[in-house]
Amino acid sequence: MNLTESKVFLVNSGSLKDVRIFSRDVFEKINLNNELKEELVLAIAEAAQNIVKHAYAGVEDTNDKMQIKISVNNEKLEIGFFDKGKPVEENNIQHRNIDDVKPGGLGTFFIKQIMDEVVFKKDQKKWVNHLVLTKNLSNN
Amino acid sequence: MAYNVKEEGNIAIVYLDGEIDMDVTEKAKELIMPLIEAKKEVHLNLKDVQYMDSSGISVLIESHQKAMELGTKVILKEISKSVLKVIMMAKLEQILNLE
Repeated sequence: MNLTESKVFLVNSGSLKDVRIFSRDVFEKINLNNELKEELVLAIAEAAQNIVKHAYAGVEDTNDKMQIKISVNNEKLEIGFFDKGKPVEENNIQHRNIDDVKPGGLGTFFIKQIMDEVVFKKDQKKWVNHLVLTKNLSNN
Repeated sequence: MAYNVKEEGNIAIVYLDGEIDMDVTEKAKELIMPLIEAKKEVHLNLKDVQYMDSSGISVLIESHQKAMELGTKVILKEISKSVLKVIMMAKLEQILNLE
């Protein structure tokens, strides 16, 4: 099944619920098991949270938007995140050591556990950051 | 996120309901931390929590560590399947008190 859907959200923590609703609605249209669906929803919500928390760190209120685009093409799932926050330095995106138990630093760890590939692309003029998460659905 | 708290002697049972994400973590901390600071044994009932992200997991870690520091404990009760999965993904099943 091929499909592309995208939606724009305000950059704030109140949007994260809407991000999950959007993601679940899209995944309802794809034949995936429920466990995988919820893992993918978590990965998407964590990436959106990273935009709010990190790309917009220190910004109290903003009318800026972020866009999330979910595409499935020949069983390859690609999820794009676009924002106009602070440019992300890919080398700074590290999750904490999982054995060093402390609050924080788990979102990126979850994303990397769930997805096959996590890549920041420098291909956007309209946006500042473009994160692409991919997963091959034929293995699931 | 909705909640209900019952206190029985030195035990505070906190029933959480809904989805726990970054948007509600402050509310969750404001609910749980004073109970720990009052040195209550806190039982967090998670049977009605359908979703928890890394922010929610951070609240669980922070609560657990604060309780240990104050000589009490936080016990996670009736953990829903989806929350248990995230706890295991974070490799915390041997660290947090799960019942």
